[in-house]
Amino acid sequence: MTKNLIAICFIVGVALCAVAAGQTVDELLQKNLAARGGLDKVRATKSIRMTAKVHTDNIEIAASVQIKRTGMARIDAEFQGMKIVQAYDGEVAWQINAPEGKTEPEKMSGDDEKDVREMGDIDGPLVDYKAKGNAVELVGKEDLEATPVYKLKVTEKNGAVRYFYLDCKSYLELKVSSKRKVEGKDVTADEYFGDYKSVGGLMMPHSIESRVDGHVDNQIVIEKIELDVDIDDGIFKMPKKPEAKPAKGA
Amino acid sequence: MRRKILTPAFLLLLLSMLSSLAAGQDAVKLDSNSFGAIEARHIGPAITSGRIAALDGVASNPRILYVGSAGGGVWKTTNAGTTFKPVFDKYTQSIGAVTVDQAHPETVWVGTGESWTRNSVSVGTGVYKTTDGGENWKPVGLENSERIGRIIVDPKNSDVVYVAATGHLWDSNDERGVYKTTDGGKTWQRVLFVDKDTGCADLGIDPQDSNIVYAAMWQFRRKPYFFTSGGPGSGFYKSTDAGKTWRKMAKGLPDGELGRIAIGVAPSRPSVVYATVEAKKNGVYRSDDLGENWTKVSGSPSATGRPFYFSRLVIDPKEYNRIYKTDFSIGLSTDGGASFTQRGGRAHGDFHAIWINPNDTSEVYVGTDGGVYVSNDKAGAFRFLGNLPVGQFYHVSFDMERPYNVYGGLQDNGSWMGPSSKPGGIQNKDWRNVGFGDGFHVWPDPLDKDIVYSEFQGGQIIRFHKALGEAKWVKPLPKQGEAKYRFNWNTALQLSPTNPRVMYIGAQFLFKTTNRGESWERISPDLTTNDPEKQKQEESGGLSLDNSSAENHCTIVAISESPLDEKTVWAGTDDGNLQVTRDGGKNWTNVVANITGLPKNTWCTSIEASRFDRATAYATFDGHQTGDMKVYIYKTADYGKTWKSLATDAIKGYAHVIREDRVNRDLLFAGTEFGLFLSLDGGAAWAQFTGNVPPVAVRDIAIHPRENDLILATHGRGILIIDDITPLRQLTQKVLESTATILESRPSVIATPGGSQEFPGDADFVGQNPNQAATITYYLKDRHVFGDLKLEVYNAEGKLMATLPAGKRRGINRATWFMRQKPPKVPPSPNLAGPSLFGPMVPEGTYTVKLIKDKETFTGQIKVIADPASPHPAADRALQTQTVWKLYQLQERLAFVDDVLTGARDQARDRAKKAEGDPLAKEMESFADKLDSLHKTLVATKEGQVTGEEQLRERIVELYGWATQYGGRPSQSIIDRIPLLEKEIDAAIVASEGITGKDLAGLNSKLTGKKLDAITLLTRAEWDKKQQEK
Repeated sequence: MTKNLIAICFIVGVALCAVAAGQTVDELLQKNLAARGGLDKVRATKSIRMTAKVHTDNIEIAASVQIKRTGMARIDAEFQGMKIVQAYDGEVAWQINAPEGKTEPEKMSGDDEKDVREMGDIDGPLVDYKAKGNAVELVGKEDLEATPVYKLKVTEKNGAVRYFYLDCKSYLELKVSSKRKVEGKDVTADEYFGDYKSVGGLMMPHSIESRVDGHVDNQIVIEKIELDVDIDDGIFKMPKKPEAKPAKGA
Repeated sequence: MRRKILTPAFLLLLLSMLSSLAAGQDAVKLDSNSFGAIEARHIGPAITSGRIAALDGVASNPRILYVGSAGGGVWKTTNAGTTFKPVFDKYTQSIGAVTVDQAHPETVWVGTGESWTRNSVSVGTGVYKTTDGGENWKPVGLENSERIGRIIVDPKNSDVVYVAATGHLWDSNDERGVYKTTDGGKTWQRVLFVDKDTGCADLGIDPQDSNIVYAAMWQFRRKPYFFTSGGPGSGFYKSTDAGKTWRKMAKGLPDGELGRIAIGVAPSRPSVVYATVEAKKNGVYRSDDLGENWTKVSGSPSATGRPFYFSRLVIDPKEYNRIYKTDFSIGLSTDGGASFTQRGGRAHGDFHAIWINPNDTSEVYVGTDGGVYVSNDKAGAFRFLGNLPVGQFYHVSFDMERPYNVYGGLQDNGSWMGPSSKPGGIQNKDWRNVGFGDGFHVWPDPLDKDIVYSEFQGGQIIRFHKALGEAKWVKPLPKQGEAKYRFNWNTALQLSPTNPRVMYIGAQFLFKTTNRGESWERISPDLTTNDPEKQKQEESGGLSLDNSSAENHCTIVAISESPLDEKTVWAGTDDGNLQVTRDGGKNWTNVVANITGLPKNTWCTSIEASRFDRATAYATFDGHQTGDMKVYIYKTADYGKTWKSLATDAIKGYAHVIREDRVNRDLLFAGTEFGLFLSLDGGAAWAQFTGNVPPVAVRDIAIHPRENDLILATHGRGILIIDDITPLRQLTQKVLESTATILESRPSVIATPGGSQEFPGDADFVGQNPNQAATITYYLKDRHVFGDLKLEVYNAEGKLMATLPAGKRRGINRATWFMRQKPPKVPPSPNLAGPSLFGPMVPEGTYTVKLIKDKETFTGQIKVIADPASPHPAADRALQTQTVWKLYQLQERLAFVDDVLTGARDQARDRAKKAEGDPLAKEMESFADKLDSLHKTLVATKEGQVTGEEQLRERIVELYGWATQYGGRPSQSIIDRIPLLEKEIDAAIVASEGITGKDLAGLNSKLTGKKLDAITLLTRAEWDKKQQEK
């Protein structure tokens, strides 16, 4: 679940990518940015709220995602009235997962925590990547299911590697690929992005298909995206007591 | 400036203009991507696994092991064999060598083209290298070497690598011998070459002084009917200057011509070098002085069997006198080669590869004709790794059971049958052995479900009784005065498509049986060239006689009876004849000479008599066993008088089989050594099918007439199934050029539920099942990027049943619909109501599908049908549906009542808080408590994983689960129980209304008095509306 929903946040991070060094990479990222609505527009975005349907294992789950520019993020979902929350306030990643019996907030650990922390990085690994100690390299041009794409290798400071595939026509992201551990097993996780639509001048994907080792794991349809909504910082912080009410948008 | 102009809207407009311009220019051509998301599923089995040619592990992390299979690519484990992943699926699947650079274990070298040169061996395309543990590979050269026997990395310099290029098996070539790179594979130098008929079979390097390199040169040649191992080119060579110069070593080695030699340098004492040498008398030799002088230490048959097939010597990393030799068993010596015992126990015989963990030499991995085994006691007892589905099928067939079973025979692994689907996946245990030896054709008797015909090498046929497990040998035998029957290794055995009682078998004569093999009628003269020069298999083998029937020649290897005319029968032979009779065998015509461009005596690999026209047939020929790697596919429309070549450059690999679709005569399928190829226009244009089909040898293809599945017999990856090729039948040029088209799929079946309780862990391979959901198939000319792309499903009344996410790729996309209604609402509880995650199945019928692509809509239909295998009468199924819906409604009613209760309760508690200090607060609390008490009788509220608590919700949900999990009439107990549950809900409503009716009005007026909001109760209409909005 975490991984699935991270994809939503992640692409938003991608949307906020900045100019990179290296002539070709630089050009590509500029074009990508232009396609998305331009740097000013991207930078001006303070917060994002999305509602989505997650289709997985023949079940449809309603979910919402809220991201706030200072590096906070929160996902809410509900399942037979049971709550799932995953959030990060810039310091602590925490969750509630009632279907798994975790009805009280608890800190996340291991890969789960890493995932949510990544989600908190609203800009994604590309923005200020040098300052962050990340490296971006143009691997080359290749075919993504018969669509020509540019393949970018992004190596983060911590050594994590992700591959970004930019559409050669539109310069928008069509796929992000990484290695992950799922239940302790090494897998290739691919996120395919589509259904790009303009939201307040930003071109944003409204469809994400996640594949694990090449098999479709889940599909997310984003129904609504709102920009610059007021979100209280408090909802990102881990409550001391069990949550009494789901957050707005749940 | 430019950036400012490129607003998203402008960009979008520009792009759409550009793409429409581009579309107008060229006609859309068929290519591999046209098939889009249509993919094969791999069903294994891994119970037999398949031939393993090479193994190597990582010394610094011995849980990592690479397995090179004979025909199924490279597999990697990172957990000591518990699970494996294929890591070489884009490349040539026949592997000869795998070598880990131990100094940089993420670097692995793979030599393609197996060097265990049996008759059925495949071919390679050079050497490949990965520097990231198998994620990405690069071809680094020697693409014309055909096969690689060994790769050795200089332990002191990873850029220095030696390759044993064994070279071509069936013809002479230059790219063979010892190759060396000093720059990590960028450039290669041939450092040892003997002649065009001699390659390098094995290499050794001194781990202390890596200037010392040993090479086993081997002269060998195979023909379609003969094999020779040995010749003047063979010899043992040594270099002391890292390959610059070489000396042929002879002191103490046998005189005369030599054959295949294996080399083993003792890691713990490199002055000790062992060799097994094929000669007039095969032997084990030992040198104690770096290969200068040799002594024969043994002639044990346990260490010297079949040298062309078993020639790997592995010396224990810690004990220089402990030798492992691959052979029929493992030949093990603990006394420096003086004596050998056989190891391998109950593991499959025919060993080709060994890897010993250097840190713990008790751990020994072995690769055999039947997969990988591991021992933890120095090759005492072995555990089979049941997770490598690399079986090498020769042929495949199917039955008409539901689900259908597939049948086929494998290289050295007998004949098997297994289900095409099984709840939970197709496991090793679901497969059943139905024949022995090397398996080839297997046919279920169309008239008797208990009977299977299977064969093994050289035309041995059995009629196998499934229930009894008893086999009856029914091979045709020569009659008085008849010549000896010649049967191929892979004898043609064919069921008639017109008469389920008729079966054919091919020797040099064609035979027909109508009595289940009890007797055979000869219906042809010798249809082969009967060339005596090609019938000397008794002399085959070279230095080591090897007559296993693998070289039997001048035989019939392909048979096809016309589905339209039982008297028209085609027969193809291994020596290049193609014969046809139109009178049931009275007269035969050899029509092969009418084919232009086909070299004489080229092996006929398959014939397909058309089901649309009796004069039409297709044939494939294969000359690879003479070194001719060209593709030969032909079609005749006049009983063989004239032929047209259907081969194009798009087809890679020599051809094994052609199949004509059962419905669309222009849809053709071809299986070659390098994969599956499709044509949509009768063979004018072809494209490789790459959807989860690696470039593996496709030896046979069957089309299931009921399920419309394409079933592939691969020689290296087991059985592959491409479910429902109905959409491919509609892929016309018009469709290819359309923006989007919904393609018809086979009817979707409301499957009878099934399941099982077992916990097998992760170690065994599980074959994929077909998708149980309805499949909606559509074609997109280009990848969809901007705007919505989704599917909507409507029932006959126009009601929207589902909105589904839709794939966006170019070519065919497949979306799935689970065919269920919305799940019922259940009252929230700390515990999940598992069965209520899913709604009831939708009714059978035709549904309209709308593909919404931004502003355009494309419409199609899908059919949902009842499971034809269901034993339940329609009335019972109707009762099931009705019962499920009753229980569904009960859940929703309960959810409503509970929502009212808990809603009022929470409002009351809220007002209590707001009225804190006022006596009203207490009244509010007491009112809330009454509601909560009632709530607790409706829903389990205890927290914990095993509370065992059961309230009304749990009782209803349990029955909903029972009723949905059975496809027929629910038990009478369930039916009888429903009115009681209804009464319980009625009572809950009465109780709820009792509380609210009695207390609420008074409380609300007090609340209003205090300027607090009154407590409101949800009506059902309001509740329903709320649910709709969710």
